[in-house]
Amino acid sequence: MSTCPRCQAEENKIRVEHKGLNAQGELVWTIFNCESCAFTWRDSEPATTIDYDKREEFFRVDPEKPYPVIMPPAQYK
Amino acid sequence: MSNKNPPLSDKALEVARRIGSLRDFLEFLKENGQCINWSEEVYPEPDIRNVAVAAGRDSMNGPAVIFDNIAGYPGKKMVLGVHGSFTNIALLLGHPKGTTIKELFYDIISRWGADEPLLDFIEPDKAPVNENRLTSNFNLYDLLPLYRINEYDGGFYIGKANVVSRDPRDPDNFGKQNVGIYRIQVQAPGEFTLLSVPAHDMGRHIMAAEQEGVPLKISVMLGNHPAMCMFAATPIGYDESEFAYASQMMGSPMRLTKSGNGMDILADSEMVIEAELMNGVRSFEGPFGEFPGSYSGVRKIPRFKVTAISHRNDPIFENIYIGRGWTEHDTLIGLNTSAPIYAALIKDFPEVVAVNALYQHGLTGIISVKNRFAGFAKSVAMRALGTPHGTMYLKNLIMVDDDVDPFDLNEVMWALSTRTRAEDTIVIPNMPMIPIDPAAEVAGKGHRLIIDATSFMPPDKLGSDSKIVTPPAGPEIDAIAKVIQMLQNGGQS
Repeated sequence: MSTCPRCQAEENKIRVEHKGLNAQGELVWTIFNCESCAFTWRDSEPATTIDYDKREEFFRVDPEKPYPVIMPPAQYK
Repeated sequence: MSNKNPPLSDKALEVARRIGSLRDFLEFLKENGQCINWSEEVYPEPDIRNVAVAAGRDSMNGPAVIFDNIAGYPGKKMVLGVHGSFTNIALLLGHPKGTTIKELFYDIISRWGADEPLLDFIEPDKAPVNENRLTSNFNLYDLLPLYRINEYDGGFYIGKANVVSRDPRDPDNFGKQNVGIYRIQVQAPGEFTLLSVPAHDMGRHIMAAEQEGVPLKISVMLGNHPAMCMFAATPIGYDESEFAYASQMMGSPMRLTKSGNGMDILADSEMVIEAELMNGVRSFEGPFGEFPGSYSGVRKIPRFKVTAISHRNDPIFENIYIGRGWTEHDTLIGLNTSAPIYAALIKDFPEVVAVNALYQHGLTGIISVKNRFAGFAKSVAMRALGTPHGTMYLKNLIMVDDDVDPFDLNEVMWALSTRTRAEDTIVIPNMPMIPIDPAAEVAGKGHRLIIDATSFMPPDKLGSDSKIVTPPAGPEIDAIAKVIQMLQNGGQS
């Protein structure tokens, strides 16, 4: 899992969050988080969710674009 | 108003006294054939989603589903669909299976407005929720069997938490303490975002904390008393307590205790996550498949840091499937969305018979009213648009006569077919609207539609020469229908 399935951020932006083990202590899946776009995913999910090319394009995120900010803190200043 | 409320039935009180927690309710549902265990191994995705959607198809009688064999989460339990059917809600209120939605509506109306809070406070060290307490090294991904609810959600959501916060400007005020359901996206092992807007009580608390530069502490209650979930989602006044409401509606005391960060919390919840607002921080959140059945987009929203976690032994993680309806969300909040609209209307217009705002949190509502004079229903519709919930949500309103059951869509369609003139529709352009309505003109703004499907009356001359067939109706026929249903079920009610 070298890049983010949603924004294609590079590996250095991807954080390993948690490893799920079975009752015998064997690895079942790993959860990752992208520090660029905040996408979280598990490597056992269907490709339509975690493969950049198979995901619907509509759901891609470009962290550089402006997204709506809920209750922007600046409005108080 | 409490002395105006009729007493609850013996059965309702018996059930209320018995159910003090999620665990109690699951046991009760099991005894009544309304809770199943899914013990075959499931992967968090897509299996849990698939089972949730299939179980949710039957909005009248679908069961709660307990998952106890989730790959990667040995020993962990998760439950969905606790409020997934009207039968589950009927059982909670002390009714038998087969109770109609209309009967449930009138039951909730009869409980509405009771003002005697029934709350017992117990010491934190005696509260089951404090059986285990963590104060460092938080890992929500490990503690909770988290999963992606819909396939394009931005992450793993906690969709059914009851979040307690206090007004940071008036932290000792019990009434202004708010309990609400807000969507929570886990963003890191010990951090999450929580979506609220200025119109929510919680949104007010967030803005006040950031303006004053003071901490905002919250307690996130998971796996709660089933009445709490219903009333945390009910629009009540800013200075009214959801705890008080929930206990009054059940007619039996709820047990509260104090969280480590000073909130009142339910003593018997499965888990309570204490957290603090990261002042001024906004993080990417979403998309999330929301109750209109479409995704709400990516936004930057407030973020919280976990400060402590309390949980019962072997906690059960309660979550919800939400997306294109019908889903548990619709059943959970439908009647409690309808009741306050009715309660507001009836003050001025005693002719209002019933309000059905079950559809997508009231984006479409059907109001049954006895016309006082020609055009009266339209005036009532205007008043409904001005109720607190109506202001943002009631987008399409269908007005029907008092002889039409607004919960029976066959009857509503009959009224539309036989009593509607095209010129009896009103469009009010450019009104406020919830931002996540996909049909909004621009997010937060759109048009309202009123269809007056009530019958004509003087001075209107139309329809004066038609006479309605009056088939037998009333309690006697209702009783016969129940006998027929019983006979069909092999003698079982």
